[in-house]
Amino acid sequence: MTTPEPRRFTLFSTTGLSITMVLGLVLGLVLTLVVGLSSGILGLRGSTPGDTSAEAGFARDMSLHHAQAVAMGMIAYDRGTTVTVRTIGGDIAVTQQGQIGIMSQWLRDWGLNINSSAQPMAWMPDGQGALEDGLMPGMATPDEMAALENARGPEVDRLFIKMMIKHHLGGIHMVDGVLKQSGDEDVLWLANSMKAGQQKEIRDLQAAEKSIP
Amino acid sequence: MSISTPSEPKNPSVVKVSGKPAAKPGAKPGTKTGTKTGTKAQVPTKGKGGGPRKPVTPVKVGGGRNWGPIALFTIVGVIAVGIIGYAAWPSFKPGGTAYSWQDRAAAIDGIVNFRDNGTKLVAEHDWAPQKYEQNPPIGGKHSPVWQQCMGNIYDAPIPNEHAVHSLEHGAAWLAYRSDLPASEVETLKSKINGKQFTMMSPVEGLDSKVSMQAWGYQLKVNDVNDGRIATFIEALAKNASLEPEAGCTTGNTATGTTPLTEQQAQQRFGGQG
Repeated sequence: MTTPEPRRFTLFSTTGLSITMVLGLVLGLVLTLVVGLSSGILGLRGSTPGDTSAEAGFARDMSLHHAQAVAMGMIAYDRGTTVTVRTIGGDIAVTQQGQIGIMSQWLRDWGLNINSSAQPMAWMPDGQGALEDGLMPGMATPDEMAALENARGPEVDRLFIKMMIKHHLGGIHMVDGVLKQSGDEDVLWLANSMKAGQQKEIRDLQAAEKSIP
Repeated sequence: MSISTPSEPKNPSVVKVSGKPAAKPGAKPGTKTGTKTGTKAQVPTKGKGGGPRKPVTPVKVGGGRNWGPIALFTIVGVIAVGIIGYAAWPSFKPGGTAYSWQDRAAAIDGIVNFRDNGTKLVAEHDWAPQKYEQNPPIGGKHSPVWQQCMGNIYDAPIPNEHAVHSLEHGAAWLAYRSDLPASEVETLKSKINGKQFTMMSPVEGLDSKVSMQAWGYQLKVNDVNDGRIATFIEALAKNASLEPEAGCTTGNTATGTTPLTEQQAQQRFGGQG
């Protein structure tokens, strides 16, 4: 009975509860607390969209998509021959520049770089297939932009309307992509607002098309 | 659960109800399986009854520390830290996305940060041609008109006074020595074409094959395939802007070595043209 025996490890023996179990529990609690706090403080995945999320991809790509619409809108505002085209051009430029500001701020809030080495549309499941000559849906080619910049007279109105309708349709396709994937309240709010606004503007542009001299 | 010694058959455990040492280990039948309980040498725990315990050597006063839970929690902890570390590494590695753009820029080998080295860079507008300290310039007085920087490929030199204004708006400007072979220029074009907040143009007599500029930053490289070109763009385009809300659209698209005069700009941007 008294033969010395090598002691073996025991897990959760009730005798050990008072000291080792409590120590272990405390250690576990502290660990949980540290991990939880650091995740929150460092903004690891979970609370805000991550670097490769659909939300971040949308914010980056849509900002670039919008910037071209701003360029088109500024030309229409500057050189459109009808007051309808000048006002809608200015409206689109100001609206989309404002939306770029919101999307840039998201990326700042999420602690993400405003740039990424990811391919355009990489955040959408069928994104690569939607590219046209490497451009996001609806984007004008450099040649088309040059044609608009160099146009004068009613040609400005005609080119602007045609290019902006195409641009908006592509933009709505991208908005649908993020609406399908995101649960972020702010992202959904802006995306829905973009979709409704651009659908309305397409109707306005189609109406304006009929009144070009 | 517990592990009993192989040399000793399992005995019914003893449930202790007092602080008294278990005088006869294994004597009373219990309901749980377990190891044998303590020995004479074992100091009893106070209060709640200790569980089954097997005999230990008399020298082990105090019953020894139960390393089981400690080992378990340590292992769980190490695994947890490992998982978190693995997930966070892409962001937190040097130059990763969790760093500020300034840190990412500073991590680029060979980059010169003029903002930090005491160089005075004013940002006022001036229609007059300027003389710049650096070639190509990285800041200073500039034309009210900026050079369009929507990934434009300029095949001839552009006026510094417009280019500097683009830098103020956040452009990363790729300048290449004007005598580079066409194949190398093509390689550079693929890094810029259509990429907003960038532009490229040849510069006469450049002291390196390629020179990257952002406001207050410069990086000279001698290989068109150098990965630092893309790293520079990713770290500094838009981020290095003095006016984060400003854009690269519109602006001057003409090439030349002297800036547009006020009269020329008046004609070019004079309203309903």
